[in-house]
Amino acid sequence: MPEPFLLKYVKEPDQAEYEAYVARGGYEGLRNALAMPPDQVTDAVDRSGLRGRGGAGFPTGRKWKFLPKDPAVTKYLVVNADEGEPGTFKDRTLIEGDPHRLIEGIVIGSYAIAARHAFIYLRREFHTARVILERAIAQAYAHGVLGEHVLGSGYALDVVVATGAGAYIAGEETALLESLEGRRAMPRLKPPFYPAVKGLYMEPTALNNVETLCHVAWILARGAEWYKAQGSPILISVSGHVRAPGVYEVPLGTTIRSVITLAGGVTEGRTFKACFPGGSSSAILSAAYLDTPMDYDLVKLDVYGSMLGSAALIVMDDSTCMVEIVARTVEFYRDESCGKCTPCREGTVWLGQVYDRILHGRGEAADIELLRGIARGMTGTCFCPLGESVPPAITSSLRFFAHEYEHHITTGACDVGVHPAG
Amino acid sequence: MSSEPPTITLSIDGRTVNVPKGTTIYNAARRLEIEIPIFCYHDRMPPLGACRMCLVQVERAPKLQTSCTLEAAEGMVVRTATPEVIAGQEAILEYLLINHPLDCPICDKGGECPLQDQTYRWGPGRSRYTEVKRDFAKPVSLGPVLMLDRERCILCWRCVRFGEIVAGDDALKGFERGFESSINTPFTLPVASKFIGNTIAICPVGALTSRSYRFLSRPWDNRSAASVCTLCGVGCAVWLDARGEHLTRLRPREERAVNDVWLCDLGYFGHGYVHHEDRLRQPLIRRDGRLQPATWDAALDLVASRLRSAGPRVGLLAGARLTNEDAYVAGRFFRTTVGTPHLDHRADARSGSISLDVAWGMRTPIAAIDRSDVILLAGCDVTEEYPVLWLRIKQAVDQGAAVVALTPKALEVDRHLAHHLVHRYGEGAAVVRALIDALDGRARDGDRGGVAHGRLMLAAKTLGAARRPLVLVGTLALDAPDGRDLYRMLGTLCERWQVEPSVMRGRGNAFGAALAGLLPDRGPGGRPLPEVTDALASTWGAPLAPGAGRTSPEMIDAAARGELEVLYVVGADPATDVPDARAWQAARSRVPFVVVQGAFLTATAAAADVVLPTLVLPERDGTVSNIEGRVQRLRPIVAGPGDARGDAVIFSALAGRLGKTIAYSSWEEIHDEMRTMIPDLAIDAVLPLAAPRPSDNAPAGDLSSAAPGDGSLLLIPGSALFDQGSMSARSEAIAGLAGAPWALLHPEDAGRLGVGEGDTLVLTSTHGSIALRAVVRPALLPGQVFVPRGFDAAPVNALVDATGPASRVRVELLAAVAGAAGGTGSGA
Repeated sequence: MPEPFLLKYVKEPDQAEYEAYVARGGYEGLRNALAMPPDQVTDAVDRSGLRGRGGAGFPTGRKWKFLPKDPAVTKYLVVNADEGEPGTFKDRTLIEGDPHRLIEGIVIGSYAIAARHAFIYLRREFHTARVILERAIAQAYAHGVLGEHVLGSGYALDVVVATGAGAYIAGEETALLESLEGRRAMPRLKPPFYPAVKGLYMEPTALNNVETLCHVAWILARGAEWYKAQGSPILISVSGHVRAPGVYEVPLGTTIRSVITLAGGVTEGRTFKACFPGGSSSAILSAAYLDTPMDYDLVKLDVYGSMLGSAALIVMDDSTCMVEIVARTVEFYRDESCGKCTPCREGTVWLGQVYDRILHGRGEAADIELLRGIARGMTGTCFCPLGESVPPAITSSLRFFAHEYEHHITTGACDVGVHPAG
Repeated sequence: MSSEPPTITLSIDGRTVNVPKGTTIYNAARRLEIEIPIFCYHDRMPPLGACRMCLVQVERAPKLQTSCTLEAAEGMVVRTATPEVIAGQEAILEYLLINHPLDCPICDKGGECPLQDQTYRWGPGRSRYTEVKRDFAKPVSLGPVLMLDRERCILCWRCVRFGEIVAGDDALKGFERGFESSINTPFTLPVASKFIGNTIAICPVGALTSRSYRFLSRPWDNRSAASVCTLCGVGCAVWLDARGEHLTRLRPREERAVNDVWLCDLGYFGHGYVHHEDRLRQPLIRRDGRLQPATWDAALDLVASRLRSAGPRVGLLAGARLTNEDAYVAGRFFRTTVGTPHLDHRADARSGSISLDVAWGMRTPIAAIDRSDVILLAGCDVTEEYPVLWLRIKQAVDQGAAVVALTPKALEVDRHLAHHLVHRYGEGAAVVRALIDALDGRARDGDRGGVAHGRLMLAAKTLGAARRPLVLVGTLALDAPDGRDLYRMLGTLCERWQVEPSVMRGRGNAFGAALAGLLPDRGPGGRPLPEVTDALASTWGAPLAPGAGRTSPEMIDAAARGELEVLYVVGADPATDVPDARAWQAARSRVPFVVVQGAFLTATAAAADVVLPTLVLPERDGTVSNIEGRVQRLRPIVAGPGDARGDAVIFSALAGRLGKTIAYSSWEEIHDEMRTMIPDLAIDAVLPLAAPRPSDNAPAGDLSSAAPGDGSLLLIPGSALFDQGSMSARSEAIAGLAGAPWALLHPEDAGRLGVGEGDTLVLTSTHGSIALRAVVRPALLPGQVFVPRGFDAAPVNALVDATGPASRVRVELLAAVAGAAGGTGSGA
């Protein structure tokens, strides 16, 4: 397995300091980039094969190429640092541990698309990350990495940090833009509002994830060919019933089993029961899928809603009540639904009520079909991916763990003992 | 421009349709008369895609698509009723109903409710929902006109988007999120809008309801008449709904050329006066110093006897509340039977003002407003005077037009304006002169009229780039102390642009009164009287009174000098409408006989010798003209109260008593006769009156800008959409929106005077004094006070001295608002 580089320095106590960062080779990528025409920077990123790490996996170089070349058109780069997908904490790790890497990636990306202003939309709850990031930005300004003449070149860039008000939906890129513009975070209609065409303030905008831009900094520092030789590393947030939860850097395509092994294996004395491979928006996979590679082909699996997503592997051992897990997942989406579209707003409430009944021993036999029906009604009908993220957990849990539902409904209690009768 | 827009061919439910590129599937289906259910989409706003009701299946698309957001593409194959679509729509309706109270039997919307109708047609029939429904406190009052029921709300966002997109007032917003989401006003109660009635109209459920219509009728019990609102001058097309003989509500009627599908709140809620108990039901005759009920015969006999020998010593002050046909008959009756040339409908115009020299109305069709690229609002407080026109201007703004406002009081739509030049009253001409100088490259340094030099230069730059300019001159310019000069300067600007300025003056059917010839020097069609005298005499079979007619102010002056025997007032209230109340009082005390024909016992009527009860517009048949000169059909929906009669009928009866015959069998017969004088007259014809060049002989008002140093403030009389006049005070909703009569002061002056928001003030001029509620905002320059007309209880004309260019008033605190320490300037 190649040596990790994204996480190489995050544990270094002084990595957030400009001098330490530069001493470890930082901002070399930016220097390389500034020596090239912007098109070549984009080409290098394109050649590297980098795909966005926010969840959708769209090729980053291609995304940048969508932006118009016309210098008269104002363009923006916006960093999606609203890391809110349950189980995901890799971006926070990068911001807190290696903030200059992000800044370097931002400057490179902004230079590539010819943006004069970049915005970092940081999750409201990331207070520590904000303090660290703002300090690093101040250092970057002080050392001429940001401002009128980036590293003495003719390129100018200002970076602004903004936060929302604590809404998961603001992580959806168009809702993020609405919030950044000062409005209620509700997703925009696509088309016509693809950010690359009409983004922030209706100007063409590149929206990139934190991890993605950190990759960019490395790609420009070491070259696309070197990067490809590293086997397309990806950060996986491993949480749940493992011995060593945390962020792990592995080559794309590492199996779920291997990742769990890296994280110290399943909790002492327990056995693996199920996992979310890509955050709570992905389908739940059973033990039969442990040897599935964690890559973008997860969507091709025979489980509806399976995907790599934000690469948040949530591991559940045999002490887990699956009904409760899905109920909590549903409650999360219910509370985070923005309220714009009908199926998400109303469907999540209803699902929550039914799960609540089942967990409290008031379930009925017809409820399983009802849950399927409500989930079916939400599938393919929601305005944005938030609502569409709810059915996979329900349908996959009903597929693999239907007996747990039935047990709850018929006995009023949990067959794993989490919810005793009474 | 020559090439046709590209078209798209697609198939919907197996039928082929061609549509212009950019058409959505929903609209393409409509062309085939295929109905797709919708809630959030409204065709006057861009698609939103929130309700998810309009799902369709598109071949090769992986999932169902919302037809209101999806643009048609070449060769697309769309199906609107596959099992998948039906399942999707049933799911959406089931979701919408889980938290809906289903209280249709007591809901005002029941019977005309899209949710109800679509549930019947597309719904699953029964719900699987057995949980407890969402519970909100309800209904919530959002002010004098609007009630909110959040349980019924299906969060389609139409009302929110109306405020954002159409009205630009952001009156309603979404709060909280997810299933806790609800609509409410942002920070203010009552809801701050002049257009909130539209949100009731476009609400697809009964979440937003009208206080004035609540529980009054079921839709199927209403009769409807297609008519016109005449409360301002825009002439919005409306449906008058009545249950039995009770007018229950007004609704907008689609008229793309005028109001499109909207109305203002005065239109929606300003009809309460129609059935008010104060309506005059029988004639009144002054006996023993008191107005006492009389029969029509007695009243008409008395009026006829006073008119019989008075001839040219009679003056007709007509207002804006006559139909075109009634106004025409009035002209015939007074010019021939009575024999006087003194007819004027402009009772509210100031003596010597430019308003008397120019024809009122727009020179540009309303529908063309949004084709302008620069709109100059000169003294035109558009949302207060012609609110629905603002919606057109807002459209122009959205399409990139720059609005430049030049007003002594900041406009409420401030944030949509490119340049807002708020100047000192009486110095607007100097500002326009500076703008013209700047356009000519003769820019001089220095501020003008309180407007900073830099702002003038920026505004001039915008004006200089205008290619399709529109100039709207309003009463705050026309009636200003320097109104004549200001109009002349605007004329110079318009000449440069080769456009005609629109004279934004006149309420109700003032334009029809002008069209019918109720002007001292004009006959029907606005033609100079000498040109039409012979034709009129021939049509009417009687000679017209010779001589030059007097204008309204001239009549009032003549009456005060004892030169008139009868003042005949129709549909006007000069006691409160004339600029200077003292002039009217002088006239009233000298003239021996005053007749008032109207619907209420106005201040004028209360001092009259005979009062004749007439009908109001929802009771009348005929036509009216709007500010652009469009002739529109008025239809009655209810009968008048008691013995109230139509105006033309009264004139005919009087003519009979005076030995002449003026008899028409119907309004159509009058209308046909008018057409012989006005060949282009027709329903929906647009007949703007030509703008005569103002004569330059009258002295330009010259206002010394130096304040006298006695702490007095310059008085700016203006308009407010919601006031308390004879009709609006008797429409509960409007009276509530208007509140107590108010005066607007700058915080600087308020601080100096120790006045806070809501305090009661006394304003005193050399002429009189009135008490008003203080509104403290930096919406005008210091040293001035703005007082709206139209509050009968505190008429601003009691303060105005019309003999001078402007009036100054002293402002004193009478009582601090309860609960607030006086003099702390709480509003500042």
